[in-house]
Amino acid sequence: MREKRIKLSPQLRTDLTGYAFLLPNFLGCLLFTFIPVLCSLVFSFTDWDYTKGLGNWNFNGLTNYIEMWTDDWFLASLKNTLVYTAAVVPVTICLALVLSVIIDKYCLAKLPICLAMLMPHLSSMVAISIVWVMMYSSFGPITQLVRWFGVEDVPKWLADYTWAMPAVILMMIWSKVGYAIMIYTSAIQGLPAELYEAADIDGASEVSKFFKLTVPFLSPTTFYLLITNIISSFQVFASIQIMTGGGPGNSTSVLVYYIYRSAFGYYKMGYASAMAWILFVMIFAVTLIQWRGQKRWVGY
Amino acid sequence: MKKTVSCSLLCLAMATSLLTGCGNSGGAAAGDPKGGEGAARTAKNDGKASASEPVVLHFWTGLGASADASHQAIIDEFNELYKDQGISVEFEHFVNDSNGNLKLETNLLGGSEIDLYVTYGLTQLTKRAEGNLALDLSELCARDGFDVVASTSSMAEAYFVNGKPYSLPTKLDQYGMVVNKDMFDEAGLEIPTSWTYDEFLEVCKKLTHGEGEDKVYGMFWNTGQDRSGYVKYLACQTLGGDNYYTEDGTATCFDDPVWQATIELAMTTMKEGYAPTHADTITEKLNMANLFAGEKIAMCMGPWLINTLKDTATYPHDFVTAFAPYPVVDENSRNYTQGGYGDMICINPRSEHVDAAWEFAKFYMTKGALYMAERGRIPAYNGLDKEEVVKAVLSGAEDLFDADTAVSVLIEPHDNYAYSTITTRMPEVQDAFYEELEAIWTEKKTVEEGLADAKERGDAILAK
Repeated sequence: MREKRIKLSPQLRTDLTGYAFLLPNFLGCLLFTFIPVLCSLVFSFTDWDYTKGLGNWNFNGLTNYIEMWTDDWFLASLKNTLVYTAAVVPVTICLALVLSVIIDKYCLAKLPICLAMLMPHLSSMVAISIVWVMMYSSFGPITQLVRWFGVEDVPKWLADYTWAMPAVILMMIWSKVGYAIMIYTSAIQGLPAELYEAADIDGASEVSKFFKLTVPFLSPTTFYLLITNIISSFQVFASIQIMTGGGPGNSTSVLVYYIYRSAFGYYKMGYASAMAWILFVMIFAVTLIQWRGQKRWVGY
Repeated sequence: MKKTVSCSLLCLAMATSLLTGCGNSGGAAAGDPKGGEGAARTAKNDGKASASEPVVLHFWTGLGASADASHQAIIDEFNELYKDQGISVEFEHFVNDSNGNLKLETNLLGGSEIDLYVTYGLTQLTKRAEGNLALDLSELCARDGFDVVASTSSMAEAYFVNGKPYSLPTKLDQYGMVVNKDMFDEAGLEIPTSWTYDEFLEVCKKLTHGEGEDKVYGMFWNTGQDRSGYVKYLACQTLGGDNYYTEDGTATCFDDPVWQATIELAMTTMKEGYAPTHADTITEKLNMANLFAGEKIAMCMGPWLINTLKDTATYPHDFVTAFAPYPVVDENSRNYTQGGYGDMICINPRSEHVDAAWEFAKFYMTKGALYMAERGRIPAYNGLDKEEVVKAVLSGAEDLFDADTAVSVLIEPHDNYAYSTITTRMPEVQDAFYEELEAIWTEKKTVEEGLADAKERGDAILAK
């Protein structure tokens, strides 16, 4: 036997060594990610109340998956998540693209500016949210600024059904745009200078250079930012939990927040798992569509 | 080649050790009931055998740092008393909010070494009792001849789950209005001993004065614990503890005229400027204790303020605080008192020191309650001298409280508490109701519309 083992081909031996190095990480992933994910799939077909302990559940087939489409809270949270994503992602990316070009062209101290803009991304979401709650208060700077512009009846921002969501969206754009700028600025450094020189010789305007050269050249970066931003927007939670608690009413309740509330507020672990899987399917589908669609507009 | 082989072997060994490490903790974490029982059985003698190993009990409380001194005093006395039996106690904090309670429950489920903990509220107690997170105390009570009902009152039975005690209630909650007596005196008003919504509104009007920075409001509604649901404090005096449900619990009763009248009362105070509006309260994060101690409001709800107001270093003030019962719809509708038992001590069924924990639970409920009274927590235990309790409650702040009203409103036990017996899908019904209340407070809906929608949504949840 021993003779045989030693005769493992060198290739196999190298492979095994590699796998052995991967093993600790893989085990961690298996224990703390894959197995729980699979468990949640099983739970999603049950009526499990987690305080009843493991195993105390009844399988109820697709009930959870059907019930959610008649649940007003779920539907409102789904709508809010989509509105939030549709607002945050395009605005963040467009703003970052324009700002990074401006910073690259017209700013002297590029790095300090980029770093300053990156600060919100590096800070804790909890701290940011609390600061913004104060900014939105009746005596806060945002309210004062709007009043200064001559608006007399300033909305109550986070306590207002119409304005709570835009208020959260504004904060999130502010906190996300710095990271996108950082990525764009680094990408811009790598753009081929000779093409811009050629465009200059041809007398192209700044605007047409931006749309004809910069935007297409940056498409892989945009694609990366689009995917990561959409995924993180679908998963928004901390800012909602701290700033509004889903309120007023359910005007800012998002999917992850409602999943959390169902699981740990109403103890409906099965139902919450089902919603989590629907969220996963949605994110997966959106990402897949983007991946398929990239051939049309992303040039490497 | 030899190097790579030994290297991969080493890696494998490391990985296996990692795996076994996880396996072990996983086994303990699963905390299977059998292991728990066995452990409890071996620990049976803990309380008696003095020669056995010293036992350190871990006690989790949701009270903040302000109660630390009282906890330490209880524990010091207990540790001294049980020194020769080798039992001592240590306490740890958890935050008594949804996240904090979740942390506690996960720890209980995960088999960490919590021996005793405090449960706040019947809904949670029921969950924990039914989920095997709290020990059924009947056996221990019977063994020691300890009668929970006789040591407190018949209300304790309302805190039994399926007819069995799963906790020892240690605190009596009795709620009422907290009022600034100096402001009442200035306005020439008596502290009411019984009043209606109309009279309350009139008082609010008289107490409200000033503009801008100097504005003093008659009333402040948000208690911090209930940013929308405080109307139930008033409504339950007429509707009782099951104020969300019809008698058989199959539907909600938000169409009851008492709800309508109560919500309209609060709405009127906000619209007329007698109380800060809901939107201001939320956006400015107005805080009851700050406003009351800062003399910005004359009345508020939530007598747990008594502990806060004793802390004159954080909340400096020199006016006298008195207490009044809540107003009611009309004089004939005062059927119940808002209140009940609280701070319920539970024993973790997976604890390895059940007997020792039981000793401490009894001690905390009886002798220990006097220390907690200094923190404004009225003892549920009826074996204490009333004078001493009053003295402890007001201790160190005798000039800041009106003793007579404190006794009549907060300390003297009533016999008509509004406690709930129906809890069907309570968290969801309550959230739907609170959302509709929020729509009413922000004037998105009228009171009628909001209540009609609350009923419709509540009924739909119950019908599922």
